[in-house]
Amino acid sequence: MTLLDVTGITKSFGAVHVLHGVDFHVDAGEVVGLVGDNGAGKSTLMKIVTGMYSADSGNITLEGKPILGFDPGERRSLGIEMIYQDLALAKQQDVASNIFLGREPVRKILGMNFVDRATMKREAQAMIDRLGARLPAISRPVGSFSGGQQQSVAIARALTFDPKIVIMDEPTAALAVREVQGVLDLIRQLKSEGIGVILISHRLNDVLSVTDRIVVLRQGQATADLTTSETNMAEVVSAIVGGDDMAAAAEHESRG
Amino acid sequence: MSRFSSTFGATAMAALFAVSPAFADGEYAILMKTLANPFWGAMGEGVEAGAEEAGVAYIVQSVESDQAVENQLNVCNTMLERNPVALVTAAINSTNLLPCLKAAQEAGIKLVDLDGNLDPAILEQEGIDITFSIGSDNVKAGGQGAEYMVEQLGADAEGPVLVIEGLSGNVTGQKRAQGFADTLAELAPGLEIVASLPGDWDRGKAASITNDILTRNPDLKGIFAANDGMALGAVESVYAAGKGGEVVIIGVDGNSDAVKSIEQGRLTASVAQLPYLVGKQAVENVKVAVDGGEVEEHITVPTLVLTKEVMDAGTEPLLEYVK
Amino acid sequence: MTPTSTQGKPAPSLWKRLQAGSIEQLHVRLESLIVLIVLAGIMAMLSPFFLSVSNFLNILLATSTIGVLAIAATFVIGSGGLDLSLGSVMGLSGVVGAYVGVNWGLPMPIAVAACIGAGAAAGFVNGTIVTRAYVPAFIVTLGMLGIARGLALVISDGRVIYGLPPSMVYLGQGRPLSIPMPVIIFVTTAIVMHCVLAYTRYGRHTLAIGDSENAARTAGINIERHRRSLYTLSGALAGLGGLLFTARINAGDPTAGLTYELTAITAAIIGGTNLFGGRGSILGTMVGALIMGVLQNGLNLLAVQSYYQQMAIGAVLILAVFIDQYQLRKETRV
Repeated sequence: MTLLDVTGITKSFGAVHVLHGVDFHVDAGEVVGLVGDNGAGKSTLMKIVTGMYSADSGNITLEGKPILGFDPGERRSLGIEMIYQDLALAKQQDVASNIFLGREPVRKILGMNFVDRATMKREAQAMIDRLGARLPAISRPVGSFSGGQQQSVAIARALTFDPKIVIMDEPTAALAVREVQGVLDLIRQLKSEGIGVILISHRLNDVLSVTDRIVVLRQGQATADLTTSETNMAEVVSAIVGGDDMAAAAEHESRG
Repeated sequence: MSRFSSTFGATAMAALFAVSPAFADGEYAILMKTLANPFWGAMGEGVEAGAEEAGVAYIVQSVESDQAVENQLNVCNTMLERNPVALVTAAINSTNLLPCLKAAQEAGIKLVDLDGNLDPAILEQEGIDITFSIGSDNVKAGGQGAEYMVEQLGADAEGPVLVIEGLSGNVTGQKRAQGFADTLAELAPGLEIVASLPGDWDRGKAASITNDILTRNPDLKGIFAANDGMALGAVESVYAAGKGGEVVIIGVDGNSDAVKSIEQGRLTASVAQLPYLVGKQAVENVKVAVDGGEVEEHITVPTLVLTKEVMDAGTEPLLEYVK
Repeated sequence: MTPTSTQGKPAPSLWKRLQAGSIEQLHVRLESLIVLIVLAGIMAMLSPFFLSVSNFLNILLATSTIGVLAIAATFVIGSGGLDLSLGSVMGLSGVVGAYVGVNWGLPMPIAVAACIGAGAAAGFVNGTIVTRAYVPAFIVTLGMLGIARGLALVISDGRVIYGLPPSMVYLGQGRPLSIPMPVIIFVTTAIVMHCVLAYTRYGRHTLAIGDSENAARTAGINIERHRRSLYTLSGALAGLGGLLFTARINAGDPTAGLTYELTAITAAIIGGTNLFGGRGSILGTMVGALIMGVLQNGLNLLAVQSYYQQMAIGAVLILAVFIDQYQLRKETRV
């Protein structure tokens, strides 16, 4: 069943046409890689999905319901969650504070609303455990964690919103090699729970290893929709750069 | 390592300060303004000299600036913890020490007002009895300045005179300016005070005021400033305007800068207060009072008009106390 | 502590556990607590007058005005802001309160409200300009430092406004159960504000904004509104400080609070507030303020000149931040 369906989205900023009718869909429990060169329109497209930008024309539905009329907060509560590349974590706060930032559970004491730390910690711990993530200590400031551990916290935070779809922007770009596998495992974990995942990444090796399908954006259009098990690095790179210098580019990618 | 470094730091610091005077019964507690001001510094020296001569135990405390109103009250409260027999204070203003003075009075500690900083009317309202107050008569000091100016210019002199007051609202500055104005009007009605402006005890501000008035009244005859710092600022402006020696400039305090300027023939005169003498006599009188003797309620310490002639002659007995 | 915390690591030392416990339960760094206790111990050894109830109350009384301002500083700095106008706004509030109580002769509650209200108004102006006009907080509050001080001098005509109504003086000089009123007001405020900062959403969001504006914005926090409310709170607390000061010396003094903002910021920093935001607690700040208070009181009792006190406090400030940075470097090296 189609979870997220994007059809004919166009967007221009003044005279600059960024998206020229993008079609693209994600099923529940499916991991879709969204790849393309810089300036292909990936982040613009995702910001239209999350509601940060409005589309000029086209339609987006989540579980069959059109969502373009909703603001970012409402789309979030409908189940669209985005994890930005910088993770947007408050580095001096602990794991629970980050996961529940902006929607802390409260308890009334003497008529005043106090943050319910115990519940926060318990639920945060449960979420980390559910992800199978490894953290040194849940009560430590997240700034003291490694990049991969911080990524886990960001994913855990996204999960507490009970999302139907999670968009991840370059989750592995800043990670040490040994940490990349951990994050890819987290993505597989999301998939196994029936959550749709859109993975934006320049690291094609990661995309090829974790996705079900790969959608290629080129000059504001979805120019290719490849099934991961039936494609290879060369084909993906060719789709991204559009044929020219394909061999050289593919070789470069497989080295990287 | 960090936890130890901090502990060691604190220990070392405390050890450094451990050289405090011995605690003694019958201690005199003396609370000054800031010793950074040479006036209060000299008064502090006088207190120490007087206490040593009289053989009494004492502690002197001061605060970091002449604006540390609240901190002076805090220090005062802390001093009471030592149970002194007498509390001698130079309050920053007429109200800030009142709670402490009240507590001291309840504890039976004798109170002394150094340099007349307390307001008798307010003291009465608060029910505080001080043993005595001691200091110079600021009205009289202003009057002495006027007398000397008239001596220099002549009783039938005519022309504009500038008065530079202290911080607006400060009683000391007001008294000096008032004393000057009253005496001047009496002795030389021809000399007209064309402006009386607050210089805020600030040398630079006094210099600008002088500049402005010199522009308006180029024939300015005399300037009276409520302290030496401001008088010296006025001197600079007068000399810069090319009128050095043509204007009689008189300050109040007799501080060392003023003495130098008088020796150079730039500042005409300074009505010297004798803070050293004030401090010394204060302690001597406290001893009398503590020992059960009678002390005047208001002790006036004389002021001295310091001029080049007086200093050159060197015969004036009070010169000894000019610091 | 948690199942995930023990993976492949040796059990933490007693010191480490104490450190973690102190921060988690009290929101105070263990180091600053130890410095305070050691300092008090040294003073007690050096001066026979130090260890007494009345002297303890003296220390609290002497800390009360600065302490209230330091609470304000903790909130604002914790949010990544800065309020340099604290001392001036305190002076202005005191003068306004005294003016309303003395010159207009209005009853005490109105004078008190005017005092705190004047502070809140100045803070609201700060907050509005910072969030709406995008002028840096440093500049806005530096400007307010001048404006508030000038206004205080204008209103009071440069004179001390003396003779407050007795019920107002009571707030500064009264001693119910022989505890000074300013101490009661100060300690109550500190406890309430500690709970606000540490245990309410408002407080948690304050630190989150100071930590990462981006994270806070992404989490749906209205940063502009929150910041403006923080500056208003800061001004209101400065007003409360002005009230304590004014009631204590029974006079509205337009020069009150000169450079108090720096002392308040010092207390907050010694207490562990991160100068760049994201971390801080009122209890920590109170420990910082008490370290300064004990140092001053002890040195006063030992009759050490005030110049050395300033040196000592400066040294403690640098030492505190050094310890902080040292810990932080050690932690992030993991």
